Amino acid sequence: MTVTHRGRARGCLLGLAAGDALGRPAENLSPEQIAARWGRLTEIDGGGTDDTEYTIFAASLLVRHGHALTPQDVALAYRQEIIPLVDGPMKGAGFSELGAIQALRRGLEPPLTGQWHRHGWSDGLAMRAAPYGIFAAGDPGEAARLVEIDGSVSNAGEGILGGRAVAGAVAAAMTGASPQEVVAAGLAVIPEDSWTARNVNRAREAVLDPAGSGGVAARLHEAVVVRHYPWTDLAPEAVALAFAAYLLGGGEVEESVVVAANLGRDADTTAAIAGALAGAGRGEAAVPERWARQIGPVEGRCLPVTAGRHVLDVADQLVEGT
Amino acid sequence: MMPGDRILGAFAGMAIGDAAGWPSSRHRAGVHAPWSRRLHRELDAFAEEHRVTTLPVPFALNQPVAPLVIGPSDDAEWLAWTALTIDQDRAEAFTGLAGRDDIRARISVRTALDNLARGLGPPASGHDNPHFFDDAAVVRAVAFGARGLDPTADARVTNAGDGVLGAVAMARAIGVLVDGGQMGDAVEAALDALPDDTVIGRAARTALAVARRAGDPFGAVPALDAALFDHVYSYGVAAAETFPVALALAEVSGGSPGTAVPAAACLAAAADSAPALTGALTGAFTGHGALPSGWSTTLTGCCLPELAGIDLLDIARGWIA
Repeated sequence: MTVTHRGRARGCLLGLAAGDALGRPAENLSPEQIAARWGRLTEIDGGGTDDTEYTIFAASLLVRHGHALTPQDVALAYRQEIIPLVDGPMKGAGFSELGAIQALRRGLEPPLTGQWHRHGWSDGLAMRAAPYGIFAAGDPGEAARLVEIDGSVSNAGEGILGGRAVAGAVAAAMTGASPQEVVAAGLAVIPEDSWTARNVNRAREAVLDPAGSGGVAARLHEAVVVRHYPWTDLAPEAVALAFAAYLLGGGEVEESVVVAANLGRDADTTAAIAGALAGAGRGEAAVPERWARQIGPVEGRCLPVTAGRHVLDVADQLVEGT
Repeated sequence: MMPGDRILGAFAGMAIGDAAGWPSSRHRAGVHAPWSRRLHRELDAFAEEHRVTTLPVPFALNQPVAPLVIGPSDDAEWLAWTALTIDQDRAEAFTGLAGRDDIRARISVRTALDNLARGLGPPASGHDNPHFFDDAAVVRAVAFGARGLDPTADARVTNAGDGVLGAVAMARAIGVLVDGGQMGDAVEAALDALPDDTVIGRAARTALAVARRAGDPFGAVPALDAALFDHVYSYGVAAAETFPVALALAEVSGGSPGTAVPAAACLAAAADSAPALTGALTGAFTGHGALPSGWSTTLTGCCLPELAGIDLLDIARGWIA
């Protein structure tokens, strides 16, 4: 069955939202803890989190500004659409988002806003990179250029590279490329001499190594997880785990997302990325119906400006804007 | 001033400042039995659960009390280790620590040791590292500066970016001071190593500006807090925060450890290392002879057990001779 361009865009964001929702309760758990609680986590229970809402926000930037997007456009959107609605706690915000907002409140401008705080390498950009790959389908370099503009407000260094890798990979997946080609496209838009590239390569080896000791989850953790750090939102780690899950799932939506969620760590983000890649590759119809039924309009719990938006409508808008 | 007195001053100042920050006694309690620190965590939880404002402090129940007297901890021990190994290839020196389960170190160093163990050497060992930006190498750079050496090769084993820049700036400032320079010259030398378009470069210039406006170290404390800290992240050892604080307080105090170090200790979020860095800069300016004599420089082995009972100044003296 031929998958249409629109079907890939809708599959990409539906897969992302499903991964976000499936992975949410497994966030910060180990594979062993997940196995003890669920056996294998396969069923969505409740909605998604920041990943889906920030993705919708990123897509709105592209719909408005397209290829002409500038860091100033992104900073202005934060100042007009995010900061005024932060009333007390900023729900679901990672360090990089709140750090960037504090920098913006200080009057700093990008790229300094993404460098001033300590979490430049967070996976906050990678988690919302999919719309750039949809918008620049077939052109990984352009997808990477655009996502870096978004990321210059909130991220730096490896956080930008994580976003570039995911956007580039989604741009390739939107053409129906094989999972191996998709991962290669993600690697092609980041420097070889980078933490993210080294981790993706190590994860790829762990996936391919049939003689490796222990289960593949243990091998992947050994390959890319930083043992002596308590936070799990490191882009080089999250992107590597997500790409590995996508490869292990053979590019199938359900298997890729389930593998990612069951690897733990930043499970909502890794499963969202794996879902975006697989959804773009296989299209909307490949997202399990029982998951799709669970994905409604977002509530705006993290970003109130996104309340009421549905990822499928956002996908259609991105396709119309191309 | 005796020759070498400023080198001793840098080392003693580091130990005094390290001791002055509140985290020091928590680090020193690391030599206690693990269960006693578990009790500390339970008391913390108790205070939260019962909504009592009586917070636990490090205590010795059935444990020796000596570690809990005021004294140096992590920073002084890592400076001592650096002085003792400074003639070795830096990656080799650190590789010698990889696999040891009895040491304590910053996140940057722990991660670098894991990277070295899997065959990833510098600069990737310091770059593929969530705390590449921390000030572990800035602490060690005091030894390199005292010897007039470039700390870059050492810093790149455990850090990258601002973490390496801070080390170079610290070594240059200490180098100027142990050669007899003024604090203003040391500040200029440090700033020369910190490009304007880096976070640490911008933060250092901002810190100096707000401290000069405040006019004295204690008066500068709230202004430094407002200018440098966003209070978002969970750890307070970023080189782009602690080194600018130290540089600004060293300058605005006119190189006085007695006013600069206590001010640094007032910045709770940076109190693990900013007082130590401030002590090293001001101690290198006044020399050891001008430092208060009541502060211990004896190490307790809380990070590197083999250093227990060793006086940091004996290491420095052996070095000068």
